[in-house]
Amino acid sequence: NKCTKQQRRIYCNKCDSRHHNSDRCPLIWRSYIVTNKHNEKVLPMVLNIYCYNCAKKGHYGDDCDLKRNSKVPNTDGSAFSGDNLPGVLR
Amino acid sequence: NNKVFWLRDHDHSELRSIPDLLNTEIEDFVSFISPTKEEIKLRNNCFETLSSIITNFWPDTKVHVFGSYATDLYLPGSDIDMVVVSKFGNKENRSKLYALSSALRKTGLFSNLEVIAKAKVPIIKLIHIHSKIHIDISFERTNGIEAAKLIRSWLVETDGLRELVLIIKVFLASRRLNNVHLGGLGGFSIICLVYNFLNLHPKLSSSTILAKENLGILLIEFFELYGRNFNYENIAICVSNKRGCCYLPKQNYSELKTRTTFGLSIQDPLDPKNNISRGTFNIIDIKKAFSGAFQLLTTKCYELSPTTYKERFGKTLLGDVIKYKGENR
Ligand SMILES: [Zn+2]
Ligand SMILES: [Zn+2]
Repeated sequence: NKCTKQQRRIYCNKCDSRHHNSDRCPLIWRSYIVTNKHNEKVLPMVLNIYCYNCAKKGHYGDDCDLKRNSKVPNTDGSAFSGDNLPGVLR
Repeated sequence: NNKVFWLRDHDHSELRSIPDLLNTEIEDFVSFISPTKEEIKLRNNCFETLSSIITNFWPDTKVHVFGSYATDLYLPGSDIDMVVVSKFGNKENRSKLYALSSALRKTGLFSNLEVIAKAKVPIIKLIHIHSKIHIDISFERTNGIEAAKLIRSWLVETDGLRELVLIIKVFLASRRLNNVHLGGLGGFSIICLVYNFLNLHPKLSSSTILAKENLGILLIEFFELYGRNFNYENIAICVSNKRGCCYLPKQNYSELKTRTTFGLSIQDPLDPKNNISRGTFNIIDIKKAFSGAFQLLTTKCYELSPTTYKERFGKTLLGDVIKYKGENR
């Protein structure tokens, strides 16, 4: 019971996550300066997408289906996630 | 107490966002650590002096530089790596090494001359008295020259590579994790890790962002990838010119397997059968250091985020991570 109570208390209103509070939100530092002025259609068709967990092409490590090899948990997500691609390419 | 010399001339406290703050600090640090005109002159003179002595002594040779001096990725006090290449390829011979070393001694321009003939790569070590620069001379091996050429082409095409490499070099040097002879991460390996990271990064490979405007986030994300997420046990890093940057499953590349299951493999872009980081047996401590840097940097960002601009005055984000131990410049 104690556990669920604590879990409920953790909530980030910046990114709607229950893994951290808003004062520890990764968005505090992970907010890129985007300079993509050109048309999204011009984006390169072949992207270097490789998985840091299984080495396969086509998905990023955060989205890998295989068991995670690293012992360090990745609850907040990292840079290498499909969510980090521009909308049209996801 | 850390010395945060590089903040001296700038007040960053008025910058709005944490990434901006970190970015500017990185720019300041990189220009702080970059060699001055005088240092560049001193280095070039040192190389030219030694190079002309050698080619006068052996007219059939050419002297080249490789390593950090050849790629402009050197830190204050770094060695110069030189290689003597001759028409007949016979200068690695032990008697030739001693002949050259005594000729160099006679000039009186160098101290601490040492011939290391028995090593896998025989070298002459010496110090140029005037500039105090340490020099390693090797013989007849051209792979270092090739590597330097490749790295220079990467630096031209890859925005942000130079800045991140310099910071990670200083970071590892301050923790004594940069010496290949002690299981640390060498310069070429660091460059390959950063180059691979930048090329595979979702925002960069889709040209959504420019690296030079996002150096702070990219630095944290470098530490995030190699300190927290990367699967060292099963994956090798590939920076091949033909394939581009990618990951390779170690099990399909027996030549890239490491002595221990947890080991760093970086395929040599100039020799696919060679793992350039096979000497880096201390990868566990290196991974820990990267993950610690991630914690330190993000914690610092969280601490500074709610503060007022006034409170940020003179505060450093990088200071705890970089631990610059050199002198003020
Ligand atoms: Zn959040
Ligand atoms: Zn995968």
